[in-house]
Amino acid sequence: MSNFVSVETFDRRALIRGLAIALTAVGSMDLDAAQQVHTETAAEKARGNYKVKAFEPNEFKTLERLAELIVPKDEKSGSARDAGAPEFIDTLSSQNEKLADIFHGGLAWLDSEMRKRYQTTFVGAKPAQQTEMLDVLVAAERAEAARRGEELVYQKSSLYKDFSGYTVQRANELGPGIVFFDWVRKMTVDAFYTSPIGVKDLNYLGNRAYSKYTVPQESMDYAMKRSPFA
Amino acid sequence: MPQNPRNQDTYDAVVVGSGAGGGTAVQVLIEKGLKVALLEAGPMLDPRTEFKEHKWPSDYDHRGAEEGGAQYFGKGKPFGFFSTTSGGWQLEGEPYTVGEGSQFQWFRSRILGGRTNHYGRMSFRFAEYDFKPHDKDGLGTNWPISYQDIAPYYDKAEEFIGVCGTQENVASCPDGKFHTAPPPKVHEALIKKACDKLGIICIANRRAIITKALNGRAPCHYCGQCGRGCQTASAYSSAQVQVFPAMKSGRLKIFDLAMVREVLMDGNGKATGILFIDKKTRTEQIIRAKTVILAASACESTRILLNSKTKEFPNGIGNGSGLLGRFLMDTVGFGLSGYVPAMEGMPHYDTDGYGGAHLFMPWWLWDQHKKLDFPRGYHIEIGGGYGMPGVGSYHGAARRYGYGADMKKQIRDGYGAAIAFAGRGEMIPNDHSYCEIDPNVVDRWGIPVLKFHFKWSDHEWRQARHMEKTFADIITTMGGRVSGLSAAQREADGISVPGTIIHEVGGARMGTSAKNSVLNGYCQSHEVKNLFVMDGASFVSNPDKNPTLTINALAWRACDYMAEELRKGNV
Repeated sequence: MSNFVSVETFDRRALIRGLAIALTAVGSMDLDAAQQVHTETAAEKARGNYKVKAFEPNEFKTLERLAELIVPKDEKSGSARDAGAPEFIDTLSSQNEKLADIFHGGLAWLDSEMRKRYQTTFVGAKPAQQTEMLDVLVAAERAEAARRGEELVYQKSSLYKDFSGYTVQRANELGPGIVFFDWVRKMTVDAFYTSPIGVKDLNYLGNRAYSKYTVPQESMDYAMKRSPFA
Repeated sequence: MPQNPRNQDTYDAVVVGSGAGGGTAVQVLIEKGLKVALLEAGPMLDPRTEFKEHKWPSDYDHRGAEEGGAQYFGKGKPFGFFSTTSGGWQLEGEPYTVGEGSQFQWFRSRILGGRTNHYGRMSFRFAEYDFKPHDKDGLGTNWPISYQDIAPYYDKAEEFIGVCGTQENVASCPDGKFHTAPPPKVHEALIKKACDKLGIICIANRRAIITKALNGRAPCHYCGQCGRGCQTASAYSSAQVQVFPAMKSGRLKIFDLAMVREVLMDGNGKATGILFIDKKTRTEQIIRAKTVILAASACESTRILLNSKTKEFPNGIGNGSGLLGRFLMDTVGFGLSGYVPAMEGMPHYDTDGYGGAHLFMPWWLWDQHKKLDFPRGYHIEIGGGYGMPGVGSYHGAARRYGYGADMKKQIRDGYGAAIAFAGRGEMIPNDHSYCEIDPNVVDRWGIPVLKFHFKWSDHEWRQARHMEKTFADIITTMGGRVSGLSAAQREADGISVPGTIIHEVGGARMGTSAKNSVLNGYCQSHEVKNLFVMDGASFVSNPDKNPTLTINALAWRACDYMAEELRKGNV
């Protein structure tokens, strides 16, 4: 459960409950107001005076830099760092030793690999060196997947049922890096897209209430025109 | 014997379980003026505080990954943090075992309303032919009742719980009493076009959701979050729609956290009540009643009967046939997803709708089985749209695209362009699929647990391959591409793990005599006249229709019969 039991949370709950009662009483109404409150309080929460709980300063800085690289800022929206990904990973790691070990170990492996390659830590390296390292890991990951005859697809595969990530089956000196990068990437991506910034980036328009459900003709026409049924 | 039998009241009926069957029994019997005790193995439910409707992942520090990221380790709530599930595939202290060479997973809910709090609410009537499967192809067994027997109760159940849909006159999926169905979403309209081309019937879905006010319940407000529970009870759950209203009568007493061990008998072939363990005090308690109704779920009711042994019933009460536990079935499941470029870049809109697909495909080849290599049908469920982003939503895409600006753009562009199909097919009961009491294991309440045995036959495997080909055909006809399965995945995921579709039924099937079945056509024990089983245990076959609506209808019919027999003094 959330550690935040703030006044905002209480008000938000009261608002939703009030709206639910209103729905029962009079039929339906839009929940735009509720959505607005949600988005604003969540955005305030995303990055503020956050106190790091599970990581040393260098570790947390590395997570911040990784967040900027994995989901960077672009013309549409901010980065995963802006969306609070390092804080998300820190919060959960502070609650779970196993998760903390995955990140402590993975971050240490990354710095040691960076020293071998560039004689500096990940945070201390040049941006080109940082992305070069990540490119090496992604290439190794793809080689590993190809070796196992597995396509990289949207579908949840039997191998990832519990989201526990890769188990590298063949001796591979980059194995620990592949496993760690999978962890930091999936949690960074999760933190970004579940944040108000990420929801806006994707332009998800739901979680509202209507008295009547309609599908815009404009969207229907767009897809039909581009389909084999045009 | 009981340590502390504190419940001295006698009830007209004691109902074990508060899901679709138990909820309906409570509703109908209370309406008839009876005095009822309802036992639930889980706690009471408070929708105002427990339903996470309209919440965002960002309302929680863990974003839905749960404390310590439990979801990442496969240890969070089944179906995710926001789901109303209470219970799961494994319950601490309440195990089950699986026979060597078998796979089976048993989902149990422990809360008032049971699995109706989160189920998919697909509400399809069985077809006329579904009640006489043996007549059709010589496989399985006929039901002792026909469609005409249950049709009036499908009417009653649909009118009371509220189901939306359209009149279509499709033989495999009879029409009902429907609320207006909402219009198809864009991906569904495309799928329908593809189905038209392929000769597959594609019609408005039928779900236990109301689109106009009913009995004080507000119409659906289209937030699409039925799986989180519905504060306005626009989606049916037995707790909100049947049990809470019945509480106002003053004639319903609810015992929560009550784990039933056995049905008690008087030595003259009559049930006298129920013995349960009060989980709060870990004491045995007894409830006396004129009639006993088990509605604890197919396997849990079967377990209670198997564990209720007397001198006259050494193998479990009402088990003279020896068939208790036999003919256990689940639904055949197979899924495939695809990517449809026609929807890339489409102007976004709110696709939440009424919580699930607005269209579905009923079995369209019911009269063509001679040309097919499998005997029974399936229906198809649809997924797609701009879902609320959640933990795990983009792991696959992230792996596919690596990281960085390109990955971000690809996820943005592909958002909402993916679709998914799930086949839900009929399994034919077989001798290898059953449950029995494990002689070596008890749960933490001291109650012997179930041991499952299960095997799909070639009928089911061939049906699943037909699903796979059909789904691929629909996807490519839409101009889409299958988000493929590798050979290795096909081997592992080619058919659902038994139990995981959560349509487990059978175990105490109904039939024409005490020799070939446990119950009669009114869900009444052949051998113990005041004992009824009003859940999926009574099912003789498991048609491709989701079982809940039929559980509602059978329970309603059984209660009408039981109340009349009670009035006449026959039970």
